[in-house]
Amino acid sequence: MSSVKDINSPRVVRTIGSIHPINQTKDYIMDSLSMMGFEIIDGPELETEEYNFDMLNIKHSHPARQMHDTFYVNNKSSLLRTHTSPVQVRGMLEKKPPLAFISGGKVYRKDDDATHLPMFHQIEGIYVSKDVNFSNLKYLIYKIVFMLFGKETKIRFRPSYFPFTEPSAEVDILSEDGKWLEILGCGIVNPIVLNNCKIDSNKFSGLAFGLGVERIAMLKYGVNDIRDFYKSNLDFLKQF
Amino acid sequence: MKISYKHLVERIKDKPNIQDLSNKLLQLGHEHEIDGDIFDIELTPNRGDCLSINGLLRDLNLFYCINDSVKLFQNNFNKFNFDFTNNAKKDCPKISFLKIQIEEIPESYNQEMESYFSELSLKKNNFFTDVSNYISYETGQPTHCYEASKISDGIRLEYLKSNQSFKTLHDKSIELKEGDLVFINKNNEVINLAGIIGGESTSCKKNTNYVIVECAYFNPEAITGKAIKFALQSEAAHKFERGVDPSCHEYVFRRFIQIIEEHTNITNIEMFSETYSKFKRNTVQFCDQSINKILGTKLSKEECEKYLKNLGFSINEMMINIPSFRHDISSENDIAEEIARALGYNNIEQKSLDFFSFDKKNVVSTSEINLKNLLIDNGFNEVINDPFTAIKEKTSIEIDNPLDINRRYMRTNLKNSLLDNLIYNEKRQQDSIKLFEISDVYKKSLSPKKRLIGIIISGRVDKNHQDFTKKLDTKYLSNILNVSDINSSDLKYEVISRTNIDTQSKNIITYLEIELGDSFVCNYLTDTPKQNKIDITYIPISSFPSSTRDLSYAVKEFSNCKPLQDYILNFSHELLKESYIFDYFYNKKNDEIKIGFRLVFQSKISTITEAQVNELIGIILEETKKLSGISIPGLK
Repeated sequence: MSSVKDINSPRVVRTIGSIHPINQTKDYIMDSLSMMGFEIIDGPELETEEYNFDMLNIKHSHPARQMHDTFYVNNKSSLLRTHTSPVQVRGMLEKKPPLAFISGGKVYRKDDDATHLPMFHQIEGIYVSKDVNFSNLKYLIYKIVFMLFGKETKIRFRPSYFPFTEPSAEVDILSEDGKWLEILGCGIVNPIVLNNCKIDSNKFSGLAFGLGVERIAMLKYGVNDIRDFYKSNLDFLKQF
Repeated sequence: MKISYKHLVERIKDKPNIQDLSNKLLQLGHEHEIDGDIFDIELTPNRGDCLSINGLLRDLNLFYCINDSVKLFQNNFNKFNFDFTNNAKKDCPKISFLKIQIEEIPESYNQEMESYFSELSLKKNNFFTDVSNYISYETGQPTHCYEASKISDGIRLEYLKSNQSFKTLHDKSIELKEGDLVFINKNNEVINLAGIIGGESTSCKKNTNYVIVECAYFNPEAITGKAIKFALQSEAAHKFERGVDPSCHEYVFRRFIQIIEEHTNITNIEMFSETYSKFKRNTVQFCDQSINKILGTKLSKEECEKYLKNLGFSINEMMINIPSFRHDISSENDIAEEIARALGYNNIEQKSLDFFSFDKKNVVSTSEINLKNLLIDNGFNEVINDPFTAIKEKTSIEIDNPLDINRRYMRTNLKNSLLDNLIYNEKRQQDSIKLFEISDVYKKSLSPKKRLIGIIISGRVDKNHQDFTKKLDTKYLSNILNVSDINSSDLKYEVISRTNIDTQSKNIITYLEIELGDSFVCNYLTDTPKQNKIDITYIPISSFPSSTRDLSYAVKEFSNCKPLQDYILNFSHELLKESYIFDYFYNKKNDEIKIGFRLVFQSKISTITEAQVNELIGIILEETKKLSGISIPGLK
């Protein structure tokens, strides 16, 4: 028989924890891309100049290779990867086309201000097959943007420059307040990169894209200061 | 780079309005902001050729009719027998000098020059420097003016043989190192940090009427990163780093002289020019099928040809000749990008893409996901920290160029980061802290990496009447881990000493680190699989301290227990951060239920006051007093 205490006892509310919002965003995007048909691959954060720069057609004179932009370790014998592209280089060297990879994770650049952090997260994808072109890239990008921001989203493509893609584009979406917001970079894989990865660029072409997870998380959650993600403030984390 | 709309449009016959011009610049890939009549353009690093009025007009020629009839000095030059030695021919394969003397220094500038200074709100220096700056703005080629008398006996370009101090023309002293590329006078003094900034000792003054103007092509590799290294702001370096046109020297000098001539009489002009190695002009095969294959378009050969010609390319026998100012073009893909820019990326149609099957393999192990679910279900919050630490261990990897010299090692474990997170939260009045982090760590001679989870706890077990007085400790952690079939035999729980920790809390801190290697097993199955949520709207948190009040009720009429809880737990106010029941028991002797509520108040705009808290407490008391058989012992 239940006691007076049991009958009137309040429900025991147990606190549920949270996955970090950046990991939630990253995993959501990775899962969605995986369902689209991309294979998830992984690689080290400690990289070589060869994989992080040379194989990706980033020349020695490129500013990104300077000591003021990249963290080097062990007397410049290695570096902290500045993007997740080297994972794709490793993937392409391991597997023959057709292939479609995505990789996501921490990347490092020598920045620290209100809008940049020395560590942030990227997701990059690559698709290599016969006769893929810029029109296909646009189709893919529309699919990704609609998946993230809804099918009514207005998108624009702008020419840009990345050493590993040619042509290269940046993609903006139109925000509710009428401003164009940059959300990702993409392009046709530079044939030099394909050849570096032992893929015959006369037979195959590739599409590539990359996006900053923090940027997407800030837009989706309405977080205005990127640094809030990494203060580890429980009041902040518990909201996710 | 700031460019005036007025200066662009006066050379465009169609006279587009600023918005139209802005749209076209964007289509070309020249991202910018507009401030009044000024475009603040952020050019991509491969388009150094567009860092000028002329450069942008070359691109805009795709859409508009450009007036290219700029006035140039037409006469022949006398030879300048300048004693110049180039000991760095590889990094400076072409250099020219112009000796020019004027009768009088003009008191005012023509409309073109005046407009340059006024539209861009620039400060004037001296006549020759002002002309040099204007020429750089118009043509994209930096030039440097030396006071002629200071270098008349000759100069050398070379790599510095020993360290030397150098005073820039902006009066800043910098310490040059052996190997820096510099111009040196006959006394072996540095007079110019090549491609970056000239020196004070040979710079032009207000009364300078006789100058030697240097116009050089430097290999971008020789200049890249140097201005940043010396903390110098240098527009010249910015341009040289991105590549200038090696064929422009004579044009630039003719334009330079023309501007001078429009202001004053010239008494002497002489020119020196040396090319030390041949500049190879790139060519790319012209194939419209290849362009269409890359872009997925159906453009005719004629359309492609028209676009390329408008951009300054010429086509001979199916070969495209690349203009000398376009260092970024060397392949069919580059050509395809030019066509795409002309066409407009947004005007290229989408075409669907098929995917292929592959063997799905998990990058993250199931056991890691299970453990993460277990922790989330038990109220743990995940954190992410950067890997930089001040703590050096035997196996630490050291960063060669750390952002913060005090944090120049890579962490070999997650403990210190998590301890910092815990202390940060304790200082913000958190009394139940359960955190975890999953990360790869890198150590010397550890190939390739180690994947770890760090778990740290301190304070109350939870915020409910059953767990409020229970403390987070090793027993708590081992209990929750033991129910999940973790291969826990070698789990090493650590109680962290508070000796050197600067907080008032006396709660035990427990830490556990587990390697998530192949042998790690966790079979926990959650009842509530976690969905990654990306549609939450975050509510900004407060940075001000909170204030806590406890309300303890004695309930004689048990049927009012639930209405009391419902009222207080559902009470909502912008200043009420959280509320929960921290105490509940039945007093058999008095036949009454004791129920305690904790209310935490916090303001988002200031430190909350006693009066604000009391006002809200008053409202709650007023309302709850209406329930019969309920009292607050001790309350008058």
